[in-house]
Order: sequence, then structure tokens, then C-alpha cells
Amino acid sequence: MDFRFSDDQLNLAEGVRDYLSGTHGPEVLRRLDEHGNRDPAIWQGLVQMGLTGLCVPEAQGGLGMGLPEAALIAAECGRACLAEPLVDTAFVGVPWLVAQGQLGGLEDVVAGSRRIAVAHAINPWEADGDGAALTSVDPLRNLSVRVERSRDTSAPGVSTTLDANGEGDDLLLNLGALMSAAQLVGLADAMLDQAVEYAKIRTQFGQPVGAFQALKHQLANCSVAIEFAKPVVWRAASALEHGLESAPVHVSHAKVAATDAAMLTAETAIQVHGAMGYTYEVDLHFWMKRSWALCGAWGDRAFHLKRVDDAVLGGALPIGPQHTFA
Amino acid sequence: MKLGFSPEEELFRAECADWLQGQMAGEFKDIKGITTLTAKAERRKEWEQQLAAHKWSCIGWPSQWGGRDATLAQQVIFAEEYARAGVPGRVNHIGIELAGPTILTFGTEQQKARFLPGIAAGQTIFCQGFSEPGAGSDLASVRTKGRLEDGEWVVNGQKIWTSLAHISDWIFVVTRTEEGSKGPKGLSFLMMDVKQPGIEIRGIKQINGDAEFNETFFTDARCPADSLIGAVGDGWKIAMGLLAFERGVSTLGQQMAFRNELDAIIAAAKANGQASNPLIRQRIAKAEIGLRLMRYGALRMLSNTDHSKIDGAALTYKIQWATWRRSLGELAMDVLGQAGEVAEGSEYEWGMLPNLFLFSRSDTIYGGTNQIQRNLIAERGLGMPREPRGDL
Ligand SMILES: Cc1cc2nc3c(=O)[nH]c(=O)nc-3n(C[C@H](O)[C@H](O)[C@H](O)COP(=O)(O)OP(=O)(O)OC[C@H]3O[C@@H](n4cnc5c(N)ncnc54)[C@H](O)[C@@H]3O)c2cc1C
Repeated sequence: MDFRFSDDQLNLAEGVRDYLSGTHGPEVLRRLDEHGNRDPAIWQGLVQMGLTGLCVPEAQGGLGMGLPEAALIAAECGRACLAEPLVDTAFVGVPWLVAQGQLGGLEDVVAGSRRIAVAHAINPWEADGDGAALTSVDPLRNLSVRVERSRDTSAPGVSTTLDANGEGDDLLLNLGALMSAAQLVGLADAMLDQAVEYAKIRTQFGQPVGAFQALKHQLANCSVAIEFAKPVVWRAASALEHGLESAPVHVSHAKVAATDAAMLTAETAIQVHGAMGYTYEVDLHFWMKRSWALCGAWGDRAFHLKRVDDAVLGGALPIGPQHTFA
Repeated sequence: MKLGFSPEEELFRAECADWLQGQMAGEFKDIKGITTLTAKAERRKEWEQQLAAHKWSCIGWPSQWGGRDATLAQQVIFAEEYARAGVPGRVNHIGIELAGPTILTFGTEQQKARFLPGIAAGQTIFCQGFSEPGAGSDLASVRTKGRLEDGEWVVNGQKIWTSLAHISDWIFVVTRTEEGSKGPKGLSFLMMDVKQPGIEIRGIKQINGDAEFNETFFTDARCPADSLIGAVGDGWKIAMGLLAFERGVSTLGQQMAFRNELDAIIAAAKANGQASNPLIRQRIAKAEIGLRLMRYGALRMLSNTDHSKIDGAALTYKIQWATWRRSLGELAMDVLGQAGEVAEGSEYEWGMLPNLFLFSRSDTIYGGTNQIQRNLIAERGLGMPREPRGDL
């Protein structure tokens, strides 16, 4: 038993974090918010780091990595409030196609010329799809109405849309929920960092407001929620990677824990900023709105809690003391 | 103790309901149901004047100044019917609920005659110039300076977060009038005309895209010497008195608006099936309990007419409603689910409930943050030792 990431895995994540903090800062978000166009150089950078091919088998030119690595990178995408379709394409779409044995066209994904929009019955929208435009509370997400279509996923073109059958495909749902949870812990981390930094520089009553225990304790509570959500997310990634029967329960647990951590941190981070936290000029709200949007995506809190309680009370999940790793 | 309304009070209710509903079905149909603070500001100024023309603008004020000497029960009834008719919030709530009562309590007869008729008539819209970039929770550290020069106050400095300054006529300003003074000493309370060259207003965009509050810059801004409320150096006392009004009757109208919000959430839950989700049902029940608790708490607080001593229970009021409403925003989003997060078309139009979610993020900040409220309850209400403060 070893519940750790390897140095290689951590180095990869750190590389992504460095790249994104250097190229995808708040000024990029503001430009996108105002002018609506993405910077193709950022996508190219992600492609060059091999991220679009992270989960593509080596035979198709990818890195052949698994869901735990993908979740780790998805958390970095959350931390940066990334406004590129990397998570849907590479960490939800690709693993699903690979699991179906649909390997055609993956070389194009690796090369960055093909993106995958993911549609599922649980979401009324799809991100970067081709239906009628929708506007999200998150001004940086590119949403459109989910379109019912055939499951032809091999058609050539720049963008491919994955559509699970009408009732919704379980694996796709679990991938989507898992990667949302991973992004949420990254978003929460970033909001906590912003709040801590602000609490150090804002002074009132002759001292940094961060010196008041009332604020310190609230930020400490956020840290507790986030640190206890992370291992649950990694655990879910591993369970889904290994196809455990209990994987859906782990994914749901992860989505709930990450949702709670992100919402608590969003609320607290605004509070710590005082009126500043309520302005558009301070960057925080981009993270807060992304969190809000992802909390509802791929099954909301109530949906995932129900999956957990059905499994626990319905007997599907083995719950005795000897089942730590079930 | 007497809970409930008399037959005469029920008659008064019918009169209020009749008039308010008539207005919202007739001449002012176009503003019915607005929930943001700034939408249709011009029409809402006209609405203030319409209220005044029918003596409904400040019923709790003395009749001498345009009010009706209304009893507490009548004010409760009017607030209930106001919300029930779907009338939007008052754009002059700062004038009616803060500036007016402050002038009534601390102003001279000349000042009453100068300001109250305009406020009552809905002609003079007021805003509140307390906070500064360096003085938020620590209000006593204001740096905006006032000096007397040739029979006029001359003011220099900056205020921030000034709600509705862009549609206001007057602003009350806490200024430092004693050179070199620190903290609550040496402050004075001035009434200033907003529309003068020395005052510049810049809007600040909020997370919901609205720009309800502003930065307000003073560069040799002027007002006559007798625009000072109270004596020179009384600013802190008057500012604190004003904040006590903020906890007063205005809370009733606010609660009725909360009632509408909770009702909208209940309706949405019934419509989309969330009403059968046990988690949501429990939270709705808790929200209902919280609302009733506040209603009774407010009535108890307002029944207590002796404002001379600090009432520990009154100190608990702000944190209670603010925290309740912030959770209400979260409940609204959980009920709406993804429907609350997307809108058709190119611009997100915040509906009532998503806007409630965003706006309620600020309830625990303005008018004294939750942390400051807890300090007040503990230090002033319970008499606990003061937390050490720094000396940066
Ligand atoms: C929507 C809105 C409308 C407003 N309208 C007006 C208006 O019309 N006129 C006006 O004058 N002002 C207005 N304000 C300003 C409001 O009064 C201030 O935002 C508030 O007093 C807090 O000050 P601040 O924003 O500077 O936060 P800060 O004082 O900087 O506080 C930052 C954080 O530190 C915490 N903190 C500070 N001191 C302590 C302490 N001693 N112990 C523990 N924690 C502490 C706070 O609780 C907060 O979490 C408005 C604000 C908002 C959000």
C-alpha cells in the first residue's frame, strides 16, 4: 500500500502549474472576459507539454498515463481557472474513447488539432459544443445547448462531440464528476491563497486583518476542508482507473467533498476581502463563479449524496472494518 | 404583551394594500417586482415622489415633517403590504431611514426645516459617506479632512463603497475636523450637496455586474457652516446613533422582502421537483424557522422604545439576518441547480434567485462585517475584554 504520488507525477503537475501561472494569469482571464477570444498560444503550450495526449495510449502517440495523473493536472487547471477545453478533451473525452476501444483520431487530439466536447444527459449544456450559445454564470466558459445526436465520434474535423446515449453513460458521468471534483480542489486552493495573501496586506485597527483570530480560524477551516477533500479525489481517480465496482461511490464522495470545500472557501475568501471581495475588479470572483458552475456540473451535491446513501444503505458497498480499500 | 392586530389596524392594512396594489397595477406597473438596487433609478425616484404625494413616504416620522406619526403596528403593516404588492426597494432608503432620523434626533430646528421636507417629498436622495479605502471595519480611522474657511466647510479626501452616490443629491460625510486627532475623537458629521464641482463619483462594478456603489472623491468640496450636525467633534457619536437607526424599523421592510425571496425558492422547488428531496426540504424548513425567528426578534427589539441603553439583544440582530440570508442564497442555488447557472443568449441576465445568491455574499460585509458584529456582541453586549489591537 502506498497512497502517494511519485516524484515524476508531482514534477509533471508542478511543471503545469508553473506554465499556467506564467502564461494564464488574471490578465488573460480579463482579456477573455472582455473580448471573448482565446489566445491560441496557450492551447499550443498545453499541447507541447503533452497534456492533450496525457491519457492517449503510447501506440497512438500519447503519454499513456492514467486517471490519477489526469486528476492531478485537472486540479492545476482549476487552480489557474483555465479557460481552455483541456479537461473535457483530454481527461474526460479521451479516457472514455479509450475505454470504448475507439482509438481513431486520437493522434489528432495529441497534436492539438482535434478537441472533444462532451455531452451527457445529466448536463443541460455542453462546453465548447456546436449547439445554440448559452451564457454561464462563469463568464469564461463557452457553453451551448446540448444537442441530441448520433454516437458517431469518428467523423473528421477540428472538434468532435462525444454524446453518450440518451439515458447517460455511467463511465462518462463518473469521469466528468471526478474531473470536476479535481478542478474544484484546485480552485479552492487558489481562493484560499488569494484570501491568505489579502489578509496579510490589508490592515485595520493597526494590524494586518490576518492577525485577528476570527479570520485565521475561518481560513484554517477552509484548509481542513480542502486537505480532506484531496485524498478523496485521488482515491476516486485510482478506483475509476482500476475499474473497481465501488468507483461510482468514490467519485460521488469526491464530488461532494470537493463541492463543500470549494463553496466554503469561496464564501470565506469573499468575507476576508470585505467589500473588495464583492467587486468585479478583484480577480477572486472568476474563481468563485467557476466553482459555483462546477458544483452543479456532472451531478449536483444532492445527486451524489444520493448515490452514496443508495450504495451504503442498499448494501452495494461493503462496509465492514476489513473493507478499507473496497 | 399583545400579538396580533386590532380591527382598526386591519382597516389600515386594507387602505395600504388598496393603494399599493393599485399603483403596481397602474401607473407604476413597469417597476413592479424589480429586485436589483439600481434598475430603473429614474422611475424609482418618481415612485418616491408618488409615495410622498400620498403621504406614504415616511409614515413613522412626525406629521409635522411629512410623516403620519404611525405606530409600530402600522409600520409593520405597511412594510408587509409593501412587499406583498411587489413594490421594489426604496432608492431613498438612506434618506428616509438614516439621514432623516439622524436630523430629527441631532439636528437643529433650522436643519430640520432645511432637509426634512425634501427627503419626505422624495426630492432629496441621500447617500452615506462613512467608509474610506483605509477605514472599513475600523471606521474611526477616517482621514477625509474638513476645515472651516470663510463660513464654509472645505472637505478633501476620499470615500469608497458609497451606495447610490451616482443617483444621490446629498451625502452625509464623517470627516476629521481636528488636525492631528486620532480615532473617534476629532470627527464631525457634515451634510454635503453631491452635485458640486468638488465632488467626483466613479462607479465600482460588482460581482453581479451591477454598479450600485462608488468611489467618491472630495477636492475642496464645500458646504455652509451650518451643515454640521451636532457640534464640532461629535461625529463619532452621531455616526453611531445613525448605525442604531440602521437596525431599526428598516429591518421590517427588509424582512418582508426576505419573505418574498423564500417564497420564490419554495415555488421553484415545487416546480422542479426538488421539494421532494429530503435535504432540500429540511433546509427550507430551517429557512422558514430562521425567518420567523427574525420577525419576532425584530418586533421585540422595536417594541423596546428605550434606546438610551445598549440593548444586548439588539446587537445580535445584524449577524442573524445577514448569515441567514447568505445561506438563503446558497439554498436558492441548490434548488435551481444548473438552471441557475446558464441563460440563453449572449449576456447572462441574472434572475431573481441567482442575483440573490450573489448579492447575499455582501450581506455579511456591509453595515459591519460578521466578525465586527461578533466583537460587538462579545465586547459591548457581554462585557468581555477587548481584543488587543495593533499600532501600525
Ligand atoms: C454592497 C455594499 C454596500 C456598501 N455601502 C456603503 C455605503 O453606502 N456607505 C459606506 O460608507 N460604506 C458602505 N459599504 C462599506 C462597508 O461598510 C464596509 O465594506 C465594511 O465596513 C467593511 O469594511 P472593508 O470592506 O474595508 O473590510 P475590512 O475592514 O478591510 O475587513 C476585511 C476583513 O477583516 C475582518 N476584520 C476587520 N477588523 C477585524 C477585527 N477587529 N476582528 C476580526 N476581523 C476583522 C473583516 O471582518 C473582514 O473579513 C458597503 C459595502 C458593501 C459590500
